[in-house]
Amino acid sequence: MSALQKSLHPDEKYKAGKLGGSLWKIGLAIAAVFMALSLLFGWREGDHWKRFLYAYVVGWSFIFSICVGVFWLILLHHLVRGRWATAVRRIAEAMTMAFPIVFISGLAFVLPVAFGYQDLYYWAHPDAALCLEKVGTTCHEYLHPSLVHKLGWLSGGFFLVRYIGYAVLYTGMAAYFARKSRQQDESGDPQLSEHMRIASGPAMIVYSLITCFAAFDILMSMAPQWYSTIYGVNFWGSACVGGFSALALMVLGIQRTGRLTHSVNPEHYHDIGKWMFAFTFFWAYTAFSQFMLQWYGNMPEETVWYKYRLFGEWQWVSIAMLVGFWAFPFVFLMSRWTKRIVPSLVFFAVWQLVFHWLDLYWNVMPSYDWLPSFHDKAKIITGPLTGNIALHHVGFSPVDITVWIALIGVLLAGFGRNLTGNLIPVKDPTLGLSLAHENL
Amino acid sequence: MSEPRTHEPDPQVIAAPERREGPLYGVIAEYDTPGELIEAARKVRDAGYTEFDCYSPFPVHGIDDAMGIKRTILPVLIFGGGCLGALGGLLLQWWCNAYNWPWNISGKPAWSIPANIPIAFECTILLAVFASFFGMWILNRLPQVWHPFFRNERFNHVTDDAFMLGIEKSDRRFDSVATPQLLKDAGAISVEPVHYDPDPGVRMMPKWITAFIVASTAFALIPFAIAAKARTSHSSEPHVHIFPDMDFQPKYKSDQAMDLFADGRENRGQITGTIARGSLNADDLFYRGLDNGQWATGFPRQLELNEQMMKRGKNRFEIYCTPCHGYDGRGNGAVPQRVAATGGAWVARNLVDASNPVAINMPNGQLFNTISNGYNTMMGYAAQIPHADRWAIVLYVRALQRSQNAALEDIPPDHRSGIQMPEAPNQ
Repeated sequence: MSALQKSLHPDEKYKAGKLGGSLWKIGLAIAAVFMALSLLFGWREGDHWKRFLYAYVVGWSFIFSICVGVFWLILLHHLVRGRWATAVRRIAEAMTMAFPIVFISGLAFVLPVAFGYQDLYYWAHPDAALCLEKVGTTCHEYLHPSLVHKLGWLSGGFFLVRYIGYAVLYTGMAAYFARKSRQQDESGDPQLSEHMRIASGPAMIVYSLITCFAAFDILMSMAPQWYSTIYGVNFWGSACVGGFSALALMVLGIQRTGRLTHSVNPEHYHDIGKWMFAFTFFWAYTAFSQFMLQWYGNMPEETVWYKYRLFGEWQWVSIAMLVGFWAFPFVFLMSRWTKRIVPSLVFFAVWQLVFHWLDLYWNVMPSYDWLPSFHDKAKIITGPLTGNIALHHVGFSPVDITVWIALIGVLLAGFGRNLTGNLIPVKDPTLGLSLAHENL
Repeated sequence: MSEPRTHEPDPQVIAAPERREGPLYGVIAEYDTPGELIEAARKVRDAGYTEFDCYSPFPVHGIDDAMGIKRTILPVLIFGGGCLGALGGLLLQWWCNAYNWPWNISGKPAWSIPANIPIAFECTILLAVFASFFGMWILNRLPQVWHPFFRNERFNHVTDDAFMLGIEKSDRRFDSVATPQLLKDAGAISVEPVHYDPDPGVRMMPKWITAFIVASTAFALIPFAIAAKARTSHSSEPHVHIFPDMDFQPKYKSDQAMDLFADGRENRGQITGTIARGSLNADDLFYRGLDNGQWATGFPRQLELNEQMMKRGKNRFEIYCTPCHGYDGRGNGAVPQRVAATGGAWVARNLVDASNPVAINMPNGQLFNTISNGYNTMMGYAAQIPHADRWAIVLYVRALQRSQNAALEDIPPDHRSGIQMPEAPNQ
């Protein structure tokens, strides 16, 4: 306890062994079963896969954001020469190496949009394209004129190009840090830590930008005439809540298999919990900033986004977010003990993951009713500015849940594929400090 | 880590001091590394000592546990401070905005939670930080300007490179032989006794410091006392001018009297027979709505009457005219409604009323003149609205008058289906 440095416990099991392979298979099995169910449910909706794809965007944003959140820990850890997280950094690296699989799974909604599917994003709808040519009276029924200027950016082809750009940058950066870290396992060269530290600065800048833009493209453009410059930051805060929660669960899961039982202790869980707490508040802070400026400014093209979320059925989801994603975890994660007692931390990790998903659902799903769809019995011809609140239903569908679980399966498979070799960076110069880590 | 510093062995550490000393305060031991300090602290704690402390240049992780120190209650204080700040911030805003001095700003509610969150948030932070900072001082009994251990020369190094553990004589287990031995056995590189200064006066705070604090506190209250007195008393003396050259500046303001000119005015008017560049406004029709001395019935020729001008007129009308005349021109704007609701009377002209067609019968030029110079109690808008925009408003008012008194025949045949004419026109 008292030593500032510690070496790896002689009995420590730090080899992944068959763990990764099993996780890969389990993940794929979950993904296969639940995707089959989702396809069934999506087909039964009979709406040309509209509901299925909306649910898919929510579920995909969930697994994407977890990788984004975990990757931030790695970048920060190198950038500030952190010590405590070295013991769990290899697990985090394996998690971020799920980026390629995550981005491949995302093609399921990106490719249809790129090749002409109209019902997912409003900007891909012919109504939007119509407005490019003629800003006339019919156009205003559906569309705020401000969207017209965005249609160059928000077009199927360019959307796909940017998506590929994000995929390459995230995967490339994550792979760089994972590979250097593994090289250090072989050579023990402390210079590699220095390389990673130098790379982490520019990587952090690129990471911040592409995280913001990915949030703009995939989530914010669901309501294309609406805009909020803090949106990307808000998404990132939510993503980090999810990322750190997932990391806590992942580390605990690995410990349950008898591995890393000596290296990772409540001190590390405590620090993961601190980040969960910090980002819980950060998310609320940015979410409120976004709300309050638009509420105070009271401009129709801004408040419309909140109109659909704060009135009608969606207001109950909004209240649930305020209480469940912020107030409850904020008050209870504040205490030192709720973070150090592992079952309690696990409870909050699961809780926050569920609410992180609800956050994404809350961001995406109110847009669902805006579009005139093929099966729309009520013939709601409503554009983003003219919809009637009463027509906007929360409308929970089983496909929302099954797609989410299927994509979690994809994520687990992605984790498992990279969970090989050492589960701890055995020759990292800061490992001794991390193993002996104590919170004041 | 460096080699342990050598120290001359001294079996009788509590031997009689060579110089004259005060009573014994305690013993202090130095250790070479933070790790050894933690080990020593654990041994001292296990031996049952309670009146001891560790001194190091930086926070040593794990030392609290080794010393057996209970967790601080500071987090509870901070939480309380934060709650107090949040409630206080909300209360302050409620009292100011909603209770003591409610003020109608654009019809916004006097009390609205979202608007109050930022202030409440800042107050939460402020009081939580105060509780954290001052609570830490109080719990640590700071500021402590003097301590008997300061008399030990090595002790100066605890802010630099020394790790020390001191046991006070007040501990009930303190023994002048066993205690130093315990510290030595725990790996101390030196163990030394520390005595109070022989002069008890040194331990007291100097009287002049006490006097200074009392006096400066008293002086600091004087401005408040003066302000309090001024608030509750009357005086025939003129104001005190602390900066007279700022209060009385050597310059003239508009419309002040001035002896320099024959007319006694500071303002210099327009020189007779001149006109400012761009202010000739010779076009009677465009600038005054006159055509050969009569109100013009048409529009100035330089204006193109098109949809753009109509939209401009609608836009300007809705900014300047709707507050009184209403969006449809019937004189039921927000101001008359508000005045009526408070029991007053505010008549705004119904611009489109066919039964009392004052505005309908006005020629265009007179409508223009009305906008420019006002009518009855209506003030002129010449200062706010440029000439071309006034004409655009005239155009829009004409359109309103037409549309509000339209017949079904006025609508193109292919748009008539689904339109129902009212039984009788409103009003």
